[in-house]
Amino acid sequence: MASSSSSGLTFKLHPLVMVNISDHYTRVKSQMNPPGGDSAAVKAPAPPPRVYGCVIGVQRGRTVEIFNSFELLYDSATDSLDRAFLLKKQELYKKVFPNFYVLGWYSTGSDAEESDMHIHKALMDINESPVYVLLNPAINHAQKDLPVTIYESEMHVIDGIPQLIFVNSSYTIETVEAERISVDHVAHLKPSDGGSAATQLAAHLTSIHSAIKMLNSRIRVLHHYLVAMQKGEIPYENSLLRQVSSLLRRLPAIESEKFQDDFLMEYSDTLLITYLAMFTNCSSTMNELVEKFNTAYDRHSRRGGRTAFI
Amino acid sequence: MDIEQKQAEMIDHFMKQASSLKGSAITPLVLEATSNPSLFAFSEILAVPSVTELEGTENATLLDTLRLFAHGTWSDYKGNMARLPQLVPDQILKLKQLTVLTLAESNKVLPYDQLMQELDVTNVRELEDFLINECMYSGIVRGKLDQLRRCFEVQFAAGRDLRPGQLGNMLHTLSDWLTTSDNLLVSIQEKIKWADTMSEADKKHQKDVEDRVEEVKKTLSLKVS
Repeated sequence: MASSSSSGLTFKLHPLVMVNISDHYTRVKSQMNPPGGDSAAVKAPAPPPRVYGCVIGVQRGRTVEIFNSFELLYDSATDSLDRAFLLKKQELYKKVFPNFYVLGWYSTGSDAEESDMHIHKALMDINESPVYVLLNPAINHAQKDLPVTIYESEMHVIDGIPQLIFVNSSYTIETVEAERISVDHVAHLKPSDGGSAATQLAAHLTSIHSAIKMLNSRIRVLHHYLVAMQKGEIPYENSLLRQVSSLLRRLPAIESEKFQDDFLMEYSDTLLITYLAMFTNCSSTMNELVEKFNTAYDRHSRRGGRTAFI
Repeated sequence: MDIEQKQAEMIDHFMKQASSLKGSAITPLVLEATSNPSLFAFSEILAVPSVTELEGTENATLLDTLRLFAHGTWSDYKGNMARLPQLVPDQILKLKQLTVLTLAESNKVLPYDQLMQELDVTNVRELEDFLINECMYSGIVRGKLDQLRRCFEVQFAAGRDLRPGQLGNMLHTLSDWLTTSDNLLVSIQEKIKWADTMSEADKKHQKDVEDRVEEVKKTLSLKVS
């Protein structure tokens, strides 16, 4: 059903939309399972529910930017979306965001289906060419990119009959600063109570580790490319070689005497402060111990026949 | 990276022209290419067959000029002024810019004295003007001028054409970089493990202390009762 798109529209997707869709799906899925669970009954794995909603955004020329989304109720009896609700929501959103239009709709699942075309056609009276955003909720650890696909509808002639089919389109992710901060926050997931010093250190080091790993893999690609060029498998591409040479000249990134001085000074400062804190801790523990000792072996209470101490 | 994009069109243009012309007709082309204010890459033009044919003919000086612009500096030109044709002011400017690029290859911090000597400039004001107007505004170099310490710190310098041996050096640098980052990754992982083990040990110690306190409390309460 899906081939590659030829309409020439560029799609920009905001992370808010993806978070909304996944949140909607997770809520519905967790509400489906009977709360508490019946241990006697066999929990048949129910097929994952499909959720539906509308996506809104702006279309400027050839660029379609999807900013936000809201949920819609799907009536499986009539196989259509709740129209009245949709219009009401649209009106409300219009008041807050006058620029946003209903650009299309979203759903969850692994692949676009035939029934989706009905909904798609139904939306065609609001927007003459709606987009269909599909989120695949199955978690696939091997997959590197997002399980979100954007489909457009195009009129193709199949078996002599002009039909509307879905075609796959590529998209890019566009973020506003606020979105970037929140996605970053979620990605790092620090222990909420601050954890002990060790867990914070481990979390910090893990993030540095992943960043360096990414850099490492990219440099490895460059390295392979240059090796192949040297062996002669790939023809020389001078412009690229010039860029690589200018990149390599930026190494070592910082190597001046002043840096060493400042760095060592800060290092010794940190060590000194740690030492001082440790000292303070030790002396307070010592103080407590002495007090306890004095209380236990006080000269007024010769209960245990022990001699007084100071 | 943007310099490469700016140059890409011009390189194509000159290559097309060069492949259609032959012999001494290439002279004005070479002149134009070397005086062009945004063109800093000459190895593509050098690779065009009609240019390489010039080797050994009476126009070999043209080839030498091109090679000078691709790999050489102002001091090279001064040393060989007898063999090479006279350069027009535009070309001189271009050559000086390329000299700055070559200097930036070796050190990141270029003292004013060295720059003044290489570029044949006598006072600091002229040097700074040259660096600011010709090099930084054209985008081939990015950096900071430190007048107190009389040096120029280079943060980014565009690449010049590669000499034949440079590819090996680049590979060497890249593989060193890779090894260093691999080692760094390993040591970070070890540190993470160390932090985890330490916190485990600490928790265990706490637990042990608490257990002992409970024990002693029990024995004491037994004694009292």
